[in-house]
Amino acid sequence: MADISDILASVSHPASPPSTTDLHALTRAYTAERCAPDLLPYPSALMIRTLSRIRQQISTVEDLSASADSGTKSGFKLIVLQTELERWKWLVRGLLRARIAKIDRYPLHILQNQEADLSGEESEYLRAHQALLERHYGGSFLGAFPAALRRLDDTAGGISMVDGPDTDGAVFVRVLRDVGRVVQQSGDEGMEMKKGDVWVVRWSSVKELVARGDVELV
Amino acid sequence: MALPLPPGLTPAEIAFMCEMELVTVIPRQRLEGLDLLGGPTPPLNPPYRADLPLWLALLLKRQRRANISPPPWLNPQSLEAILRVETELSNQAFSPPAPLPPSIDPLLPNPAPPFVPSATYDAPADALPYHWLELGEILLEAASDDFETPDQVRRLLRDLREIRMEKLRKGAEVLDAGGGVKMNGVGAMEVGEGRAFITGVIDGLRKIGASKEQAKREREAEERENGFVGTAPEDEDEMEL
Repeated sequence: MADISDILASVSHPASPPSTTDLHALTRAYTAERCAPDLLPYPSALMIRTLSRIRQQISTVEDLSASADSGTKSGFKLIVLQTELERWKWLVRGLLRARIAKIDRYPLHILQNQEADLSGEESEYLRAHQALLERHYGGSFLGAFPAALRRLDDTAGGISMVDGPDTDGAVFVRVLRDVGRVVQQSGDEGMEMKKGDVWVVRWSSVKELVARGDVELV
Repeated sequence: MALPLPPGLTPAEIAFMCEMELVTVIPRQRLEGLDLLGGPTPPLNPPYRADLPLWLALLLKRQRRANISPPPWLNPQSLEAILRVETELSNQAFSPPAPLPPSIDPLLPNPAPPFVPSATYDAPADALPYHWLELGEILLEAASDDFETPDQVRRLLRDLREIRMEKLRKGAEVLDAGGGVKMNGVGAMEVGEGRAFITGVIDGLRKIGASKEQAKREREAEERENGFVGTAPEDEDEMEL
């Protein structure tokens, strides 16, 4: 719930432009993806906006450099624009590569439980890569095994072959809104999470709060 | 192609985040406002101060187009006061951080570092911001001539860093797997440095205690089924040994 100081602030401060808000969101998404133990949902709306802005800025830079009369002033402007462009690209690339690292690490787990969290390209990559791997394993050694032992996702004997992320792993979070008491395991007294606090907690106990934006990973 | 880095931000990534903090510059040349992807920048008119992201301020500084005005908490008096708080008043916790600003739009997530102005001319002087160590180091390296007493500031930052690292190390004794651990006031680099160790200890303790926790859950479920609460004898713990 918004408290009175929030309402006052929204009246006295002009809202920041959407591209600034997107920079904040992209930075937060980057940090979250690098810190969370499991794969987070693909921020598709944010990525579409970001990529189209980057494309636009690239063409602006190209126009500017074509028309620049090599005056020092517009030359410097160009340097600033390009530097910023590189910073955005770095964030986007880092975010996507962090996601690929997780997809490569837990391919079967993601295929079985999390395919909705992938972008179209990621899903295509994961399926094609997994099909290639299975064909290769089959051809090089699995084919020589008894038929019952050839599966890569066997769950016989109560032990699953499919590796998943440790959802109880400890993470560092910053609380962005008062969220009250968060209980980590049944029976304990819980933690009183107040705005501005930094906590080390189990990922499973704050995952929902991170998705809602009440808490961010740091 | 996949990022070959461990989970959690590396020091280079933390420094990259820190470069998005706003700092105050005093321009030495005019520069029109620029339409950057992250929003427009204010036009630069000497000698009026303007707030710019650190990466841009550094670019201007390197080309001698502007001076950077160090944030108020980076002057020796403030640092000495903070150091006093760290040594005398709070001997276990870190010195209290500045509170997060109220959210501007209730529908949007609350702003947080590096996007709260904590290194500008009018930032609070009595608290270390989240990126204090990186900001201090970067500014001392790139703009030491904008400080009145850079060596004193450098020395105070080193003292602060040592006493806070000591607290971080001592804090390892209270880590446990059950409840969360509160670390208000911790800095970005300190999180980065402590992450592997702290999460390692907590995860390790959790795995050691996993069977105990599991047994407790089962016992509770059983009690709920039977309708008895709190009558289970305590000595059941021995069964796990």
